[in-house]
Amino acid sequence: MRKLTTLLVLLLFAGLQVAFAQRTVTGSVTKATDNTPLVGVTVIAKGTTTGITTDINGRYSIPVPNNETILQFSFIGMNPKEVTVGTQTTIDVAMEESSQVLNEVVVTALGIKRESKSLGYSATSVKTEELLTSKSANMMSSLEGKVAGLNITLPASGVGGSSQIRLRGQAAFTGANNAPLIVINGLPMDQGARGADGANQRDLGDNMSNVNPDDIESMTVLKGATAAAIYGSRAANGAIIITTKSGQKNQSIGVEYSTSYTFQKALDYFNFQKVYGEGLAGNKPTSQADAAGNGQLSWGAKLDGSDVYLFDGSVVPYSFQPNRVGDYFQLGKVSNNTVAMSGGNDNGSFRASFSNTTGLGIEPTNKYKKNTFNIGVNYDITKRLKFTTNINYTKEDYINPPQIGQQGAGSMNFLTRLAQSIPLVNLRANNTNSATGTEAVTSGFQGTILSPYYAMAAGALYINTRDRFLGTSTLRYDITDWLYAQGRYNYDYAISFAETKNPGGIGTSIPTNADGTYKGSYNVSENWETNVNADFLVGVSKKINKFSVDASFGGNTFRIKNHNFNENVTNLTVRDLFSIPNGTIKTPSYGFSQTRVNSLYGLAELGYNSMFYLNFTGRTDWFSVLNPKYNSKFYPSVSGSFVFSELLKDQKWLSYGKLRGSWAQVGSSNGVNAYDGSLTYSIGTNQFNGQTTASITNPGNVALAPNPLLQPFTVTEKEIGLEARLFDNRLHFDLGYFDKVTTDQIMSINLSDASGYTTSKQNIGSLKNSGVEFLIEYTPVETRNFSWTTSWNTTYLKTEVLSVGKNPDGTPIKDLLVIYYNGTGNEFLGELHYTVGMPMNQLYTKTYLRNDNGDILVQNNGRLLATPTTVPVGSSIPKHTGGWNNTFTYKNLTLGVFIDYKLGGTVLSSTYLNMTRQGMSDLSLQGRRDGENGLVFPGVYQTTGLPNTTAVTDLQGFYGDYRNLQIGDPFTFKSDFVKLRSITLSYNLTNAVKKAAFLGFIKGLSLQASCRNVAILYKDIPNLDPEAIQSSGDTRSGYENSSLLTTRDFMFGLNVKF
Amino acid sequence: MKKISQLIFLSAFLLLIGGCDKGFVEINTNPFAINDIDPGLLFAGAQRTNLGGWDSESTVVQQFVIPYNLGATLGFNFNENIDGTQNGAWGQYTGAVKSFVQILNMLKGTTTKVNLQCITRIWKASVFMNIVDTYGDVPYFKTGLAAIEGESAFFPTYDSDAAIYDDLYLEITDALSKLDPAGDYVSADLFYGAKAYIPINSAAAQVAQWKKLGNSLLLRLGMRYSKANPTKAASIVAEAFSGGVMTSNNDNAFVVYDGTLFTNGNNGGLINNNPRFYYAAEPFVNQLKSTSDPRSKYMIASFADPNAPLNDPAPNTNVAAQFGLPVGIPNANITVANGYRGPKGSGFDYSQMNVNVAASLTTPSYWVTYAQTSLLLAEAAKKGWIAGGDVAAQTYYEAGIRADMNAYTVILAKTKPTNTAVPILPSVSVPQQDAYIAQTGVLYDPANALNQINTQYWIASFLNSSEAWANYRRTGFPTLARNSYNDALLANGGDGYVHRFTYPDAELSKNQVNYQAAVTAIGGIDDLVSRVFWDTK
Repeated sequence: MRKLTTLLVLLLFAGLQVAFAQRTVTGSVTKATDNTPLVGVTVIAKGTTTGITTDINGRYSIPVPNNETILQFSFIGMNPKEVTVGTQTTIDVAMEESSQVLNEVVVTALGIKRESKSLGYSATSVKTEELLTSKSANMMSSLEGKVAGLNITLPASGVGGSSQIRLRGQAAFTGANNAPLIVINGLPMDQGARGADGANQRDLGDNMSNVNPDDIESMTVLKGATAAAIYGSRAANGAIIITTKSGQKNQSIGVEYSTSYTFQKALDYFNFQKVYGEGLAGNKPTSQADAAGNGQLSWGAKLDGSDVYLFDGSVVPYSFQPNRVGDYFQLGKVSNNTVAMSGGNDNGSFRASFSNTTGLGIEPTNKYKKNTFNIGVNYDITKRLKFTTNINYTKEDYINPPQIGQQGAGSMNFLTRLAQSIPLVNLRANNTNSATGTEAVTSGFQGTILSPYYAMAAGALYINTRDRFLGTSTLRYDITDWLYAQGRYNYDYAISFAETKNPGGIGTSIPTNADGTYKGSYNVSENWETNVNADFLVGVSKKINKFSVDASFGGNTFRIKNHNFNENVTNLTVRDLFSIPNGTIKTPSYGFSQTRVNSLYGLAELGYNSMFYLNFTGRTDWFSVLNPKYNSKFYPSVSGSFVFSELLKDQKWLSYGKLRGSWAQVGSSNGVNAYDGSLTYSIGTNQFNGQTTASITNPGNVALAPNPLLQPFTVTEKEIGLEARLFDNRLHFDLGYFDKVTTDQIMSINLSDASGYTTSKQNIGSLKNSGVEFLIEYTPVETRNFSWTTSWNTTYLKTEVLSVGKNPDGTPIKDLLVIYYNGTGNEFLGELHYTVGMPMNQLYTKTYLRNDNGDILVQNNGRLLATPTTVPVGSSIPKHTGGWNNTFTYKNLTLGVFIDYKLGGTVLSSTYLNMTRQGMSDLSLQGRRDGENGLVFPGVYQTTGLPNTTAVTDLQGFYGDYRNLQIGDPFTFKSDFVKLRSITLSYNLTNAVKKAAFLGFIKGLSLQASCRNVAILYKDIPNLDPEAIQSSGDTRSGYENSSLLTTRDFMFGLNVKF
Repeated sequence: MKKISQLIFLSAFLLLIGGCDKGFVEINTNPFAINDIDPGLLFAGAQRTNLGGWDSESTVVQQFVIPYNLGATLGFNFNENIDGTQNGAWGQYTGAVKSFVQILNMLKGTTTKVNLQCITRIWKASVFMNIVDTYGDVPYFKTGLAAIEGESAFFPTYDSDAAIYDDLYLEITDALSKLDPAGDYVSADLFYGAKAYIPINSAAAQVAQWKKLGNSLLLRLGMRYSKANPTKAASIVAEAFSGGVMTSNNDNAFVVYDGTLFTNGNNGGLINNNPRFYYAAEPFVNQLKSTSDPRSKYMIASFADPNAPLNDPAPNTNVAAQFGLPVGIPNANITVANGYRGPKGSGFDYSQMNVNVAASLTTPSYWVTYAQTSLLLAEAAKKGWIAGGDVAAQTYYEAGIRADMNAYTVILAKTKPTNTAVPILPSVSVPQQDAYIAQTGVLYDPANALNQINTQYWIASFLNSSEAWANYRRTGFPTLARNSYNDALLANGGDGYVHRFTYPDAELSKNQVNYQAAVTAIGGIDDLVSRVFWDTK
C-alpha cells in the first residue's frame, strides 16, 4: 500500500513538474501560536491554476512562473496570507488563527467539518464547558434552555434517568420516536430512552449516558431536517453530533483529572389543607379498624391535637404532620470522577479516559452506578492512509429506580394519598401486620396505595445492569489532495439484565393465594442487542479560483438484531425465596427481532468567493420492515447561504453577516417494528387442564392488526435565517424561522374493538411545527479584568394537527383519541387527542356543565353536572421556551446566572384531583371552612336557572363527583414556569499555580460550584414543580399523576491537568 | 484522475443498487414466530367467553353489592353510569370474536373441518347474543376482520339488534344442520373434547353434545322473543325443542379450573383486592333465607373479617344467620345508628360470597346448563309453546331446580378444601331437594308459575349473571324493588332499572361516526334505560 501511494504521489509530482517547467518554491506552514505544522493548507500561485496543499509535516512545494508571483495560503480557521515570491526559494509561513467567531468550524453531518458561514441551515455548536460547569448524572440537563430550538426536559424519575430532547417541536405524533438522532463519533443511534413513558415504569436512562461530558471535544446541534438530511430516515428530528477527544499530535503525555460531587435536595411544593384530619363525615377514626379502612380520606374532624387511633392501633395526637412528603425523601448524592490520559507523536495521537459515577437517589434505596471507559486513537498509517478508532465501554447499574406516574407502588402515590394527619414515623415503623406478616393496612385502597416502607422491609428489589460496547473505526485514504475515500464500521453491542423481586404481602392482608402458594413474584430477563452501521464515503474537494466544490457520495447499511429472554414466576411455594423453580406459575418468553435499513446518498457544496454557498443532498433509504412494494424513499435537500458582510467589508460595525435558507425532505419508517406486517399466533404459556390452547399474537401486548399498506412518512422542512455579528463581535444575533410539515406519519391508531383488534398502524398523520428561533448575545462590558456577557435565546413554537386520517366514507376524521386515561384503569382524568386544526397533544376533559350565559349548572340537590363529552382544554406542548444567560468574568473567576422558561403548555394534575376528592387539598376546604355548613356551589339550577342555594353537606360525595363525572376544570393548569435555573461559579487557578515553581507539573487547575433549580420564579400548577413530569416520551404528554419530586442540585467540582 | 473517481462512483453505485433491499423479506420474517396454527387450538383459546361480572350484571340483578361509592367502586349500586363496569361483553370482540372470525376465515371454502366450523359458528352466535343483549345495536356483520380485510374493517358500523338476532338464528340453525357425526373431531374443545371434565373422544359423541348445546342456545334465543314477538318465540322454541336440548347435567357447557394456572377470573377480585368491598345483596339473601334454600351455604357466608375471608376457614354458612346488605346505601351510612348492622373488622357485618365454594378460584364456569334449559322449557310449556301445559311445566320446573342443586356436586368436588380446617360441605340430598320443592312458595303454583320459574332461573344463573340479567329483563321476575339511591334511572323514560349497558366510552372517540349513528338510532342518548329490541315495555 505504502509503495502504491508513494508511486502515485511521485507520478503526480512528476506530472506537475512536466507541465510547469518553472522554478519551484518550497517551505513549511506552521501555526503562529505554537509552531506546529499545519496539514492541508491550500497554497495557490495567484493568477495560475496551480494549487497544492501542505503535506503531513506542513511542507509544500510549488512551481512558480516568475518573481512577481504571489502565493496565497489559506486554511479553515486561519487568516489567509499572501506572500510575494521575489527571489526566495524557501518561504516558511506562520499562519494566525482567525478571529474564531468569524470562521467557526462546525462538525456537520457525516462528521464533515464545515465553516459555519457555508451552512444554509441552523447548526449550533455547544460550548462544551457548559457541560462541565454544572455536571449532573444526566449530561443533557446542562443544556436545558441554552440552545434556541432545543427543548430539554428532565422527568423527575430518579438518579440516572432519561431526558426529553426535542428539536423544533415534536415532529411526529406519539408512537414515533421524536428525539433527535444522536451521532457519537460517526455512530448514529436513537436516543433510546428506556422505560421512560411513566405509567409506573422505571426510567432506565438513555443512550446519552454512554457519553462522559469530560470526553466531549465537540457537540453540534443540527436542528433541522436539512442539516441532518444526509442521515436520512433517522434524522427526521434533527441530530446531535458528538465527537469525543482523541488527543493532539505531537503532544506530550498529559493527564487530566476531574471530580465532582452533587447533592440533590428534594423540592416539596405541596400545600395540603391543615385543618381537617383523617376520617369521614366529619368524624375522626374511632378504632384501629376505622383508621385502617379510611387512611386515604381527610374528611374527618377538625385537627385539635386530641387522641386519635391510627391504622397500627397506636393513639397519637390528631394533628397535621408538616413536611411529610419532603421528609420521606433522602438527600441525593452523585459523585463523578474522571481520569484521562492523552498524548501524540508525529503519526498520531490517543486519549484514554475512565470515568465513574455513583449516585444515590432521593428515593430511599434508589442507586445508580456507571463506569465508562473510552479510548480514541488517530493514526496515520501512511501519509495518505489514516486510521481513527474510538472504543467506548459503559457499565451501568440501576437499583430500584422509582416507579412513578401511576397509582400503585410509587412512593408519591402513598405519600399524597394518605391523610396528612398520619405521622410518617408510624408509617415507617409499623409497615407490617405482625399477625399475617403482610403489609399493614393503611387505607381502604389497599391494592392501589402501597407502602414503600413495607416493600423495603420485605426486600422488594429491582436491578437493571447494562453493559454496552461501542466501537467505531474509520479508514480514510486520500487518493489525491482533492479526492478521498473513507470506510467506516460501527458496532454497538449491549446486554442488559434485569431482576425483579416482588415479595409476598404487598397490598394484601393474606400472604397466600387461594391454592396455598405464597403471593409474590420473581422475574429475570436478559436482552442482547447489536447495532451495526457500516458506511463508505467518497469525497472531492476542489478550489478553482473563486469557486470551491465539495462533493461526496456514500452508502450505509444499518442493522439491528435483538434477542431477549424473560422468565417470570408467581405463586411461590416457599415464601419470598426468589428462584425460578420456586414459582408455581411460570411464564417464560423469548423474543427476537431483526431490521435493516440500506441507504445511498450524495452531497455537493458549491462555493463562490467565500460569499455564496449552495448545498445539495440526496439520499434513498430502503426499509426491511415495510412491504417490498413501498419500502424505499428518496429524500432531497437544498440549502444556501449568502455571507453579505463580504460585500460590506468597509462597514467597520459589521463584523459578519449571513443570510441562510434551506428546503429539505426526510422520511422515516419510524413507528413500524419488525414483523408488524404479519399476523402470528401464540401458544398459551400453560395448558388449560392439559389442553394446549392458542391465540392470535398481540405484539407489544396490544391487539395489533397488521397493515401491509404502510409507506415511509415524510417530513418537509423549510427554514430561513439571518445571523450577524456587530461592533467587533460585541453583539451577535441569530434569527431563524422554520416550518416543518410531517405528512402521512405512520401512526398507531386506536381501532374500534369491534374490528377484533385494538390498534393498527396507518399512514394518516399530518402535522405542522413552525416557529421562530432567536438568539441575541451582547457583551456590554469588556475590560482587561472584567467582562459581562448576556445572552437570550427564545423559541416560539406553533404546532398544528393537519390530518388524522379519513373515515370509511372518505370524509376527514376530525379528531383522534390517543389515550383515555380513565380507561387505563389506573388513572383518573382526561384524554389526549389529536384534533385537526388545533395544536398537537390536545388534552381533553369533561368540564362543568354551563348554560348559554356561562353559569355553571347544578342539580336540584346542589351537586355538579358534567358536559356529556370531553372538550379540549389545551395543548401540553409549550409555545415559548428559552433562557437568559449571564456570564460575569472577573480575572479568573466566572459567574453564570441562568434563567429559563417554558410557557404556553397545559397539564392535567391527577394528583390534585386525588388530593381534592380525598379531602386533602386546599380546594377541599370549601364548604367546611369556619362558618360554613356545607358547600353552596356558585352556580344555577339546571331546572330553574335560579341561583343555587342548596348546601351540600356530603362533601366527600361532592368532591368525589369530580372523579366520577370526570370534571377537569379545577385540575387543569398551565405548565408554565420561569426558573432561576442555575448559578454557576468557576475559578481558574492555572495562573496562580504557574506562579508557584514547585507546582510546575500542573498545567491547569480549575474549581467549579453550581446550584441547579435555584428557584421557581413563576408557576401555575399548585403542589408541584411544573417540570415534575414522569415521562421523557410523548405518549402521556401533559398528564400528571403521582410525580416524583424534582430536586435542587448543589455541585462542587475540580479539574486538574498535569 | 477524473476517470478514477468516475470509476469509483460508478462501481460503488452498481454494487449497491442491485442489493439495496436484497433479503429484506427474509429479514422481516420472524424465524421464531408461529405463522400457522391448528384452528382447533385457537377455538379452545377463545372458548371461555363472558359470563357477566359481580360488580356489573350481578349488581343490577341485586345479588351482589358494593356499598362503597368511591371512584372505581362506584357503579350500579348507586345508579351510576361507570364505564369500567360495563365493558365485559364488549371485550369479547378482541378476544373470542377475533379468534372465531379468524378460524372461519382459515377454513373458508373447505369441508375438511366442517364440525369445527359449525361449533365455531354456534359459539360465535352465543357470544353475539350476549353482546346484543347487553348493548342493543352493535357491530356484527363486519367485525373481527381488521387483520383480514385491512383498513376498510378498522371501524365497523353498528347493525340493528333485531337484524343480528335474525342472523344468529340462521347461523345456529344452519350450523346445527351441518354438524356431521362422521366428520372431524375437535379434540381441543374445552366443553366436549378430549380434556373436558367429562372427556369425549369421538366426533359422533361430540356432535351429539353440540346439537344439544346448539338447540339449548336456540331455545334461549327463541325465549328472548317472548315479549316482543310471542309467535316467533313459539316457533323457534318449538324448533329448538324438537331438535333436542340438554337433558342432564352431563350436557352442561362448562369448564373447571385448577385454581393456580387457571382460575375462575370472575372470583379473583373477591379474594385478592379489598374483599371488604364485596357483599351479598339483601334481596338475594332474603330469597335464600325465606325458603331455607339448601344452596345458600355454597353461595354466601358470613366471615369473621370481611377483609380477609380466606383467614376464616370455617365461616358461618347457616342460612338463618345470613344478612344481605341493602342496595343503594353508601358505606358512610351503614351504621347501627341508622338501623343497619354496622361495621365488622374493616368492613361491614353482612354476608359475603362464599369464597370457599361458589366464589372460589376453582369454581367451574357454566355457560349453558341443563338447569337453565329445563326452566326455560317449564316456561315454554306453561305458555303452550311446547306440549304438556302445567303438568309438563311443573316437571321441567322441578327438574331444573334439582339439576341446579345437583350441579353443586361438581362445584364441591372442584373446590374441595386442601386445608383440613375448612369443613367439607355436603351436597344437597334428594330428601332436602324434595322438602325444598314441596314448601309453600316454591311448590309449583300454576297461578304464580312464571314468577316461580324465573326466580329459580335467577338463582340458577348465580354464576352466569349476564344470563340472569337478560332473563330478568325478559320476564320481569323475580320482583325486585327499584334501587332508590337516586332517580337517575327514571330520566329519559326509564323505569328505574338498568335495561342496557352503555357503549364503552372509548368507542365514542375511536369509532365516532358509527357510534353517533348508533346512538341516534336508539333515540339520541346512550344511556342505561334504553331497551334492547326484545325488551319491549
